[in-house]
Amino acid sequence: MLDFSTVLALVILTVGAACSLKDVRISLATSLLALAIVLAAAVSTPQLFMYVLLVIAIGVLTVFSMSVKENQMSGIDYALVALITVITVYVAYTSDIAFVLASFVIASVPTYALIFVSTDGKPPHVDVAIKYIAFMVLATVLFIIGTLLLVYSSSVKDTALYTLGFVMLILGLGMEVGCAPMHEWVPDVFSAADPLPLSVIASITKIVPFIAAYKILLLTSLPQLSNLTLFVAFIAVISMFTGNIGALTAKETGRILAYSTVANMGYIIATLAVITSKNFLYLAFAGALLQLIVNAFGKASFFASIKTDGCSRPLMYVLALSFIGLPPLMGFWSKFFILTSLVGAGLVWLAFLLIVNSAISIPYYLRIARNLAKDTVPGKVTAIALVASAAMLITVLPPNWFINIAKMVIGGV
Amino acid sequence: MMLLYVLLLPFVVTFLTPLMKPRLATAVSAVAFLIPFAYTIYGLASGLVVKIPVADVVHPIGRFYILGDQVSFSFALAICIVSAMVALYSLPYMAHRFEEMGRELESEYRKYIFFYNLYATSMLWLVFSGNFIMLYIFLEISLLASFLLIYMYGYGDRRRVATLYFVWTHIAGMLALIGFLMTAAANGSLAFDAIAKIGFVAWLLIFLGMIIKLPGLGPHVWLPWAHAEAPTPVSALLSPLTVGLGAYVILRAYLISPWFIKAYTMPIFVYGVVSSIYAGFMVFRQNDYKRLLAFSTISQMGYCLIAFGLGTYGIMAVIIQYISHAFGKAILFMTAGGIIANYHGLRDITKMGGMHEYIPTISNAALLGFMNLGGILTVGMFGEFFILKGVVDTFGLDISTILAVVFVFIISGLYSFYTYKRIYCGTPAGYEKVKVNRLLDTPLFIIGIVSILLIFPPLAAILLNAVKAVIAKVAIATIGGVAP
Amino acid sequence: MNWEIVLLFVAPVICSLPIAFYWVKEPGSDRARKLPMLSVFGLFISFVIAIHILLTYPNGTYTIPWLPEYNINFVFIFDYLSKYMGALTAFIAFMIGLYGLEYMKHDYRLGWYWFFFNMFTASMLLVVYSDNLLMLLIGWEGLGLASWGLIGHWFRDDDHLSYVGVVGRKVGPLKMYWPPSYGGWRAISTIRIGDMPMFFAVAAIYALTGNLNISQIHWGVLFTKIGLAGTVFLMLCFLMGPFTKSAQLPFSEWLMTAMTGPTTVSALLHSATMVAAGTYLFIRLSWYIHPWALHAVPGVSVLYYIVLLVGLFSALYGASVAIGCLERKVLLAASTMSSLGLMFGCAAASYWYGKLAVLIAFWYLMTHAFAKATLFLVAGHLIHATHDRFCCGDLNLAKKMKTAFIATIIATIALGGLPPLTAYWVKAGMDTVMHHIAETVGSLPLDLLLITSLLYSAFLAKFLSLNFWKGDKYHLHLHGEKLMPFAYACVVSMVFLLLYRILTGTDPLAETHLLEYGLDKDSFIVGLGVTGTYLFALVVPRIRALSPIGTFLGDRMYLPALNDFIVPSIGWAISKLIEYTHKAIDWFCHFGLPDGMLGISRRIRAIQVGYMRVYMKIALAFVMAAIVVSMLGWL
Repeated sequence: MLDFSTVLALVILTVGAACSLKDVRISLATSLLALAIVLAAAVSTPQLFMYVLLVIAIGVLTVFSMSVKENQMSGIDYALVALITVITVYVAYTSDIAFVLASFVIASVPTYALIFVSTDGKPPHVDVAIKYIAFMVLATVLFIIGTLLLVYSSSVKDTALYTLGFVMLILGLGMEVGCAPMHEWVPDVFSAADPLPLSVIASITKIVPFIAAYKILLLTSLPQLSNLTLFVAFIAVISMFTGNIGALTAKETGRILAYSTVANMGYIIATLAVITSKNFLYLAFAGALLQLIVNAFGKASFFASIKTDGCSRPLMYVLALSFIGLPPLMGFWSKFFILTSLVGAGLVWLAFLLIVNSAISIPYYLRIARNLAKDTVPGKVTAIALVASAAMLITVLPPNWFINIAKMVIGGV
Repeated sequence: MMLLYVLLLPFVVTFLTPLMKPRLATAVSAVAFLIPFAYTIYGLASGLVVKIPVADVVHPIGRFYILGDQVSFSFALAICIVSAMVALYSLPYMAHRFEEMGRELESEYRKYIFFYNLYATSMLWLVFSGNFIMLYIFLEISLLASFLLIYMYGYGDRRRVATLYFVWTHIAGMLALIGFLMTAAANGSLAFDAIAKIGFVAWLLIFLGMIIKLPGLGPHVWLPWAHAEAPTPVSALLSPLTVGLGAYVILRAYLISPWFIKAYTMPIFVYGVVSSIYAGFMVFRQNDYKRLLAFSTISQMGYCLIAFGLGTYGIMAVIIQYISHAFGKAILFMTAGGIIANYHGLRDITKMGGMHEYIPTISNAALLGFMNLGGILTVGMFGEFFILKGVVDTFGLDISTILAVVFVFIISGLYSFYTYKRIYCGTPAGYEKVKVNRLLDTPLFIIGIVSILLIFPPLAAILLNAVKAVIAKVAIATIGGVAP
Repeated sequence: MNWEIVLLFVAPVICSLPIAFYWVKEPGSDRARKLPMLSVFGLFISFVIAIHILLTYPNGTYTIPWLPEYNINFVFIFDYLSKYMGALTAFIAFMIGLYGLEYMKHDYRLGWYWFFFNMFTASMLLVVYSDNLLMLLIGWEGLGLASWGLIGHWFRDDDHLSYVGVVGRKVGPLKMYWPPSYGGWRAISTIRIGDMPMFFAVAAIYALTGNLNISQIHWGVLFTKIGLAGTVFLMLCFLMGPFTKSAQLPFSEWLMTAMTGPTTVSALLHSATMVAAGTYLFIRLSWYIHPWALHAVPGVSVLYYIVLLVGLFSALYGASVAIGCLERKVLLAASTMSSLGLMFGCAAASYWYGKLAVLIAFWYLMTHAFAKATLFLVAGHLIHATHDRFCCGDLNLAKKMKTAFIATIIATIALGGLPPLTAYWVKAGMDTVMHHIAETVGSLPLDLLLITSLLYSAFLAKFLSLNFWKGDKYHLHLHGEKLMPFAYACVVSMVFLLLYRILTGTDPLAETHLLEYGLDKDSFIVGLGVTGTYLFALVVPRIRALSPIGTFLGDRMYLPALNDFIVPSIGWAISKLIEYTHKAIDWFCHFGLPDGMLGISRRIRAIQVGYMRVYMKIALAFVMAAIVVSMLGWL
């Protein structure tokens, strides 16, 4: 059912993209239609429906954020964003390494085009785009080689190769999403490129790599894995501190958000350290996934707001407070799941460092909110932020259902 | 179920009041807290213990349920009456503040009263939480609401101070959260009735977190900033109610697994004494009325730390001390606010003197407040009595510990009356006599009267018998909890 | 019985509430100035009930439940001590209330004054009638609070007539003058220092015995249980309360500056309430501890010896200061301190002499209460009439203020111990007691008592002489007061009632013995000596040649340095030190640490040079390093 609808959605997207040369609105319509089809198909798997709904919501938001201003590839961009969204949904369903790897690539490649987007007839930021693409290519190569090594070594039980594969996979993942110390591209790209494509690049594209990494690691796991989690924790700590401390003195909002991304990726990659603990694995993954969703909603709204020099005051504060992690906003539950899993797996020191970081992050999130806050005016960006804020509030009651989603997504592997 | 409705009342009101005119919103808010106040007295008098399940959460967290026992009711007693009275007080005060900030009353007051009620309600729910995570959530909501109130309406460099407050208390909450989570991992649940034991690291983290919140010496530095720069009605909740909730959390942990406090009685006792004396001496050197009161809060919370180590009577003293400090400090912050509102932001004590001449009612209320701090003719008297009895129970007639505690009590009495003399007595400083808005002084007297009534029958017997019921619990918990 | 007892304490407070609230609403209005009548009516109710209790109540206790689960209740005790003391307190308070109606007529803060005045009385009655120590503490704290309120009544510090000391005078670093707000602060701070140890002692007694009723606690068992050191420590902590309240050395300073309050307050404070509460409590304790029966228990003798010496040295100090004083009220204050010392000393002698010593101390307390109240009320009238705090007046004044003159003569003679008036018989009892115990504890107590007695009569005579005979010039402003003379006339007449009781020996407990002691030859010789000094001082009230000594004594031997210089200096030094510590922590947490963080932040951001090749170098270097390290670790 889903396979079919995915194919159908892809076809529709292609057609829409082709037609967009005639009228941009066709592409917008077809993108939304494709997403609607995927959503409809997801009804058949009620356990994952909420996940699909949230992802589609992010997808729709980012499609809309691309439509805030006309750009030189308007029409195609909607289709590309919708494509990433469809892949993000699809990756949750598949447990075949080949498909997972393919999803990883497909979710990444469209951004190479999106990064060239510029509005108001300005020339595209080629130097920024080159930095981005270079890092992405390197990351993809590392990730793929790492995966292949893991698959091979797990079948022949070669621990040395397994270690190498693991390290390369993590490095590839880290580079792809922007973990320190391979984060150099992030601040430059986030502050120099156009905010609209960034609202895609900084948000929804982060989800697939992590799901892929989880699935691959679980599919290829060897007992050796438990010795390697320290490496993950190491990258997580560097990333958290670099991101959060770096953001403190950053001045442009885009740059603060860049460092915030680095920090968030640190939190998320930290959950990979729990991967060998059977009891807390799902909780860790739930935390990571929820944090990715929070990040996607928040970043999409923030970048869209940068484009319009600000957005409604209460909405900006809700999103910032969610990033800080205040209950009952969604950002609290994601951090809460991550902390619970870390503590449960015996990584109290890592949890402690996470808390220190969460405290360091308070000033700059408030700064983001203050920089972007202005009086409420109805508009596309306000609508985007409103939906995102509403999403942050769906967890007023403890989101137990999310654990089930996490089990469904990685339980099959 | 009655309890649930009573608790839902302020919660619902929180969302309704922004739709009302300021006067109505104020009145409704006050009533919404007075009804639970009446209920808590009923709860105390009847020895009620209620458990209402709310939700089941994922595996290591366990059930969320509302727990109404004598400890909850005792804390809620203070929270309700102070919240109700400060709500009344807010109207004239915030009108002054908005005018000062050049904002429009009606629209700003909607925001204000919403966050005010959210703040007070979250504290009320906190003490009725039957699960540590539930408790933590309300702790953070109260932090959020108070933070926003300071951020929006505070004094001085309000954004910086608010952020500073946020960072400190967030660290406090998160440390405790890790402690809770470790307990969850070990016990498979965080519902109060399902935890068998809290391990060493978990206890330590909870304790450290709450020491920041309480605050003890060292992490106390945030408090003078936050309490001094907050808008006064917020100070009047922050200092009397919120910081003491740190003691509440430790108390809850103690009732479940007391071994930690018992094992480290002496260090905690010494720490409490040093904190209290330290802050007490600092009070003498303050020239800002609100900052002075903030230091006095640290000193008073030292009482709680002292009391924790003192066995069953010490635990009773913690509860009484919380109530007594809540009453006293709420009154005093409101007197400071009264002076601010009537004399255009006057806070500098060096510019005061003989203020009784101009604002006799506020001066008299301040006397009630200082009586509460000193434990003179108010409910604080029982707090001091139980602490002293606890000292003898725990250490026997040990001269050094006794003198330390006695010295702590002397210091608070001295700074109270020294401050009163500096502000309200002496040659009048040359201001105009003003007509004080009735809402700026009457609520203070109501709290003061409650604090006096609590030492006489029947209220004294109701409260103290309820507190005594806690002792039985401690005795049971002592058998259950063994050191690792 | 129930309602009557409750009314005894509640009536004064309730009756003072109307003025307290109304004055806030309409200060100084005509209607508000009538309301004090109601407060005095409240005092009258108490007076009637106290008399009723004295005449009709059987001895015993009466309980109203308070905290039954804790075995703490409102336990009222009616015995010899409480009945007499209660009636005395209520009577004097009522009389001073009447006096106050006229004295405070034009005051600017009547609500405050009457509320605290009535609360003062109610608190004292609570102390008098309570058997339960925690309940007693409520009254005790009430006394402290009310005294603070009343001493600092004229909080504006704007009237030099309300100061103590010569305004503007300095000796070294010490300012030798004290405004009312300062007087109040000194009182409450000193009392706090004593109350807290006492509070501890009460809690400790509760912790050790589970009982707080003075008459029910097995004191002997308790003392045996906690041993010598425990007993001395516990009871000294307890007695810190009475010592500070009764202004014994070295806590006497507050009493001198308490004279900044209205004279009515001084009169009440010095006769029947506050300071008397301390000695009364000690007398009551000794009455039930039965120290004379506890010679086998270690610690009790040490304790009573300490109290004996503290009392008698304070008595001597007070009398010496009074000799040097020229300020009307301060002179009387010092004399009060002296009398209180005698009471402590005499009551403490009961350890060696038996219960009779306690009774004698109590009789002295009563005599002193009436006489001292009279003297203060006269002093107040004089201050009103002459607008001068210092002693001044001549025979002309005496003629114009006949009642005051006569009342002063009676009071000084009755209090000074001149035969055959009241205090002579009581003091004779004291002489006998001290003479008796000289066999065991040496003659020091007896010597101290005799010197004090001589000085005592001398300064009383001086007071009389300087105010009505040989004093300085003055300006007279009489306003035809009626109530004031009536009040002190009534009060002074009570010394004759006491005298009547002594001479007729109607009371089986004490009076018969007093008569016996007074008729003793030795006592009579002492009485003659006292009369001699009295007459001498009457004729020669001031000796100019000795004025340096007089100044030294009048400056209270520079004991104010303790309150005003030594203790505050230490306190300020500590608080300064603490402030620096605090600033250091504060700087570190709120400036040092964040600034350091910002520095690191700038470094992190310094990586962003914008050059692709730099970025790639860093990233690739890390990738290579990670791979190499992981391989190394595996090898």
